Amino acid sequence: MTLPATPTPVNSAPMTAIPEIETERLILRPYRLSDFDTFAACNMDDSRMRWIGGAQSRHGAWQSFAAAMGQWALRGYGVWAVERKDTGALAGRTGVVHAESWPEPELGWVFNAGHEGLGLAHEAALAARDHAARHFGLNPIISQIHPENARSRALAERMGAVVERETTLLGDPCLIYRHPRLDVPAPGREVAA
Amino acid sequence: MTAVLHDPVHPIPAPLIETKRLILRGPLARDFEPARDFMRDPLRTRYVGGPVEDDFSAWRVFMAVAGHWMWRGYGFWTVEDRASGRPAGRVGMIYHFPDWPEPELGWHVFERFEGKGIAFEAAMAVREHCARIMGLDRPISQIHPDNARSRALAERMGAEVEREAEMHGDPVLIYRHPSVLEVAA
Repeated sequence: MTLPATPTPVNSAPMTAIPEIETERLILRPYRLSDFDTFAACNMDDSRMRWIGGAQSRHGAWQSFAAAMGQWALRGYGVWAVERKDTGALAGRTGVVHAESWPEPELGWVFNAGHEGLGLAHEAALAARDHAARHFGLNPIISQIHPENARSRALAERMGAVVERETTLLGDPCLIYRHPRLDVPAPGREVAA
Repeated sequence: MTAVLHDPVHPIPAPLIETKRLILRGPLARDFEPARDFMRDPLRTRYVGGPVEDDFSAWRVFMAVAGHWMWRGYGFWTVEDRASGRPAGRVGMIYHFPDWPEPELGWHVFERFEGKGIAFEAAMAVREHCARIMGLDRPISQIHPDNARSRALAERMGAEVEREAEMHGDPVLIYRHPSVLEVAA
């Protein structure tokens, strides 16, 4: 074990290492501190969080917000903020999460109130899935979805994912969807998986 | 199961600080287990918000410690005991958004490393570094009134109670540390 080299000057912008992805209507980009209020509003809303662990306190939302950035550091992949090109609004998030006790890294998504029903989650998740296959070597990837989460199941199925098995996740029932293997080049280097 | 953690892929801007007995460094994957054991221990977390409810929550907080560095440019260093090479605790400057009043110097000592003056040695080094390098002089420490050990440490460091407050429903004393820079001037 070597100690980490720490040449990075304090208060630099280390998140610049996080890639940005542009799609027709969206930009997938690293979170900014100014996104926190929107992020927290979503995580404190029980209707948004119903199938993914339930509503959080504001402090819990901050922990998740900080953890989202920390996972980029410690895993090399993570979750993007999804910004709409037309309004600049933060529409939601998508990306790869690999928590302790997860069977493997998963592709996930959460969209904010007012940005549903437009196919934005589909557009963003497709771009994230493609990036994960090309650059993180996660191909084919899973999505873990509560059996009663009809919207997310519909999205996974629209993306071509199929239920591989049933399991439990943090005490709740969970379907493990397996996405199709994408015909894209694997990354040249090994990343944290 | 592939719950293996990896060492930082993207840089965490935690400078290395060395003291006589300790190495203070940024978080590494192998810190997770001792950090989780600390976070799940009702006794050791009694005055710092209580234990986390499961390993998932511990994982999230561990990731948040790394993420704090990326958001703030400072955070919790892992305190590594030179003699054993093992993580002995974490000490650093924490400024949780949005409910912390200002950056706070804090310390957590893991099981089997207590009573050796490790927290004092690490906290002094962090306080010095944060004042000189990071522009964080005269930080506070928020300490539960019944947390006699942490109060004793803060007082040994020369900190004084400035006011009483609340943190997440618990009473806290806000200790103010003396200035590193003015003493040196």
